[in-house]
Amino acid sequence: MTTVFRTLLTGQFRDAHTLFWTILLPFALLIGLGLWLDKPGYAERLLTGVLAMNILFGPGMVTPFQVMTLRNRGVFKLLRAASLPTSAFITASACARAALSLAVSACLVAAGSLFFGVRLTLPGLALMLLALLIGSLLFTAVGFISGNLARNESDTSMISNLICLPMLLASEAFYSLEHAPQWIKVFSRLHPFSHFVDLLSAAARGSWQNGAWTSLAALVAFTLICLAIAAATFRWDNENARFRILAKD
Amino acid sequence: MANRQVLIRAQSLVKRYGRRAVVDGVSLAVNAGEVLAVIGPNGAGKSTTLDLILRLRRPDEGAVDYAEPELRRRIGVQLQTTPVFPGYTALENMRLAAAFHRLRPGDGELLRRLAACGLAEAAKTDAARLSGGQQKRLAIAMALVHDPKLLFLDEPTAALDPRARREVRELIGSLTKGGTSVVFTSHEMEEVHRLADRIVFISAGRILAEGTPASLLEAHNAPDLEQLYLRLTAG
Repeated sequence: MTTVFRTLLTGQFRDAHTLFWTILLPFALLIGLGLWLDKPGYAERLLTGVLAMNILFGPGMVTPFQVMTLRNRGVFKLLRAASLPTSAFITASACARAALSLAVSACLVAAGSLFFGVRLTLPGLALMLLALLIGSLLFTAVGFISGNLARNESDTSMISNLICLPMLLASEAFYSLEHAPQWIKVFSRLHPFSHFVDLLSAAARGSWQNGAWTSLAALVAFTLICLAIAAATFRWDNENARFRILAKD
Repeated sequence: MANRQVLIRAQSLVKRYGRRAVVDGVSLAVNAGEVLAVIGPNGAGKSTTLDLILRLRRPDEGAVDYAEPELRRRIGVQLQTTPVFPGYTALENMRLAAAFHRLRPGDGELLRRLAACGLAEAAKTDAARLSGGQQKRLAIAMALVHDPKLLFLDEPTAALDPRARREVRELIGSLTKGGTSVVFTSHEMEEVHRLADRIVFISAGRILAEGTPASLLEAHNAPDLEQLYLRLTAG
């Protein structure tokens, strides 16, 4: 499993999707928006927004392409004929992505602190690490769901955009929803990304109070639900039905 | 042939997609040390039969029995699709294939295996940038990474140039000399005649004929396998 983890982690730095969505875009957004919207108090929101978006776009939007490609190329099928459990491969793959996301997040926090004076407390950093770990697992599962449902690249793009973009737009990642229509406010409480943003915001404030526990509980619940759906929709190849439990014979 | 140990026995396999039976009552045995060719027209159910034998799919009816439970871990598989990780070099793909079998061979060992499949020069090349033939050979190298006792090759020489085709045939020949059993599918009748100890002819999900190349030609009074193929698939 460590060989798979190391090899996949190394390979991510050569993957154009990963480089753009997980590394280039978050930094460009943080620096660009930070300089453009240089208002007091906005730096924390911007940092948490970019961190949340980074997890959404990394595990959430790159994973589907990888899942679809590996399935269509027969890698999952090959894995089924081998002795390494598919769950071990998926875990190693998710860990490699989480490791990259955490490394990029650490760099983003450092950049936020260096360029925009964001200060994080030790409890805040601990909460942020926890949130990023759970968020990474959650959105990897969301990525698997998109990849499992897609048949080809255009399907993948459409499904992952359909799942991820509404969550990003109906959240307080970059702006307040205080004056948004009621239905958007309701919708924002029904998807996991808002709770993820809330938890990161609590971490930026250095507070485990003010709803942090509620957000954490919601995030854990969504993670379990999404993992279950990802397992139920997992397919070894394109010819299998779309609802097949993740299990060997 | 009759004394060979049966490694896998498939009995009355049926696989349906919707109402259509893609495999319809196939029974066959894979014996130790033999080269078994499974041939038939496109869509005949060859690949699905192999998938069922490999337990990659569950049959709707019938059963597949392995002579020993450990055999499952000693099977090498080369699929019709090329199961390579795009963005990763041929060497990294070999490393991943080895990890799939819980092995951690050194790079020297993996490079030697790549060289044996004619890919020494391509070790550091992104697998997605390899030619179709090279990808096919990489898939075979990956299938061999754990020294399988039984090797399944689904159209191993399809899309290969004559030289690469010959190399793959020689590779299969050397594997069988080393005691590896091989099951392969192919549309190249000359290749089948040259390599196979036994042939199973499948059409519309059913076995139409089975036997050694010589016995099949004699039984159907055909001059060669291509003629036999045309006769069996006519009408």
